[in-house]
Amino acid sequence: MLDREAQIEYLLDRYQSPEHKRPLPDADVSAEGGNPGCGDIVHLHLKFDGDQLADVAFEGEGCTISQASADILIDEIQGLSIEQLENFTHEELMEILGKEIVQNRTKCAMLSLDTLKQALRKHHEQQIRQSLDG
Amino acid sequence: MRQNSGYVRPDVLVSTDWVADHLDDPNVRVAESDEDYLLYEQGHIPNAVKVDWFTILQDPVRRDFISKDEFEELMSQLGIDNDTTVVFYGDKSNWFACYSFWLFELYGHENKKIMDGGRAKWIEEERPLTKEVPEFPSTNYTAQEPDLNVRAFRDDVFRHLEQGLPLVDVRSPQEYNGELLHMPGYPQEGAMRGGHIPGAANIPWSQATNEDGTFKPAEELQQLYEDHGITPEKDIIAYCRIGERSSHTWFVLKYLLGYENVKNYDGSWTEWGNLVGAPIEKPEDGTS
Repeated sequence: MLDREAQIEYLLDRYQSPEHKRPLPDADVSAEGGNPGCGDIVHLHLKFDGDQLADVAFEGEGCTISQASADILIDEIQGLSIEQLENFTHEELMEILGKEIVQNRTKCAMLSLDTLKQALRKHHEQQIRQSLDG
Repeated sequence: MRQNSGYVRPDVLVSTDWVADHLDDPNVRVAESDEDYLLYEQGHIPNAVKVDWFTILQDPVRRDFISKDEFEELMSQLGIDNDTTVVFYGDKSNWFACYSFWLFELYGHENKKIMDGGRAKWIEEERPLTKEVPEFPSTNYTAQEPDLNVRAFRDDVFRHLEQGLPLVDVRSPQEYNGELLHMPGYPQEGAMRGGHIPGAANIPWSQATNEDGTFKPAEELQQLYEDHGITPEKDIIAYCRIGERSSHTWFVLKYLLGYENVKNYDGSWTEWGNLVGAPIEKPEDGTS
C-alpha cells in the first residue's frame, strides 16, 4: 500500500498524464456523468466483444480526483465481463484511489464508477431493444 | 490594491501584483482554498498554506463548522496571529476562497482579503508555483464568539419570510426551478424537494464575476442586484445548496457593495429542501 504522499503523487500523475483519455468512435455505448455544481464531467465509452469489455476510454474535464479516478478505473475494468463490471463496488474503487484521500471528495471520486453503472444500464436497454427488434 | 473600482471596501481585494510583493511578508499569510482537493498539491503560491473547506473548516461528524477552540488551534498551526493579514485565493473564481473568508469573518478575524482573479489569474500571468509546504511558528490565537450577524439559521429564514424580507438564491436556474434535485448519480446528496424558498430572487453567483475570474465593477454589480430588488437598505439572506456559492455573493454584497445586513444561510437547500413543512415555491405549478 502506498503512503499518503505517494498516493497523492499517483493521483496527480494520472490526472496530468492520463493513459485512457481519448475518443472511442466505434463504442457500443457511451454515457455522460456530471456534477454541475463543481463542473466535473466524465464521458465513458465502452466497446464489447460479446459479454466481455473489449475496449474502454474516457473524455472529460474537472477536478483532479474526478479525472484521475476515471483513468484509474479503466485500468481496473479492462477485459472484465458485464457481470464483473456490475459487481465492481464503490468500496473497491475507494481503496484503489486511496480511501484516506478521496473520502474527502467522494462525489468526485465516484463519478467515474457511477457513469460506468449508467453506461451498463444503457447497454442493457440497448440489448433488450435489439432482441425485441430482432 | 485596486484603484477606481467603485467598491465600498476596495481594501479587501488585492491584485496578483500585491500578493507577489508580499510573499515573504511575515505579517501576511496567503491561503489557498479550492473546490479541487488536490490542486494545492499540484503547485501553489510560494509560502501559501492550504485551507480546505471540507477537511479543515468543517466538523468531521456534526453538520457544522469547526468550533471556536478548533479555529484557534487551526490559526495557531497555520502561523496566523490575530493581527495577521490573511489573503485568500482559489479555483473557480474564488468561490471557496470566499467561503473561507466568510468563516474567518464568523470567528472575528479582522484583516483578511481576497486575491482578485484567484488561482487562474496567477497561473495565467505565469507567476511562480511551488510544491513546497511552508511551516510557520505556531501562534497564540484568540478567536471571537461566532458573529451571527453574518450567518443565518433556518429559524432566521422563517422569520425573514414572515417579514417579507428579500432572499437571494444564487444557484443555477435549473436548481432554482426545481429541475435538479441533486447531482446526477448522487441522490444521497440532494434534497427531497426541488424549487426555492418563496420569494427568493435567482441571481447565480457567477454573474458577479468576469470571464477571467475577477469581480465585475461596482456599477455592474449594483445594477445586477438592484434590478432584482436586492438593495442596500434591506436585510438580505443569501443561500445556495450548502452555503459555499452564497458566501461568494455574501462577499460581493457586504464588502464590494457595502450592504450592511447580509447573512449567509449555510444550511441552504440541502436543509430547506428536506425540512418537513417548509414552504417551497416551484415555478411550474406556483405552489408554496
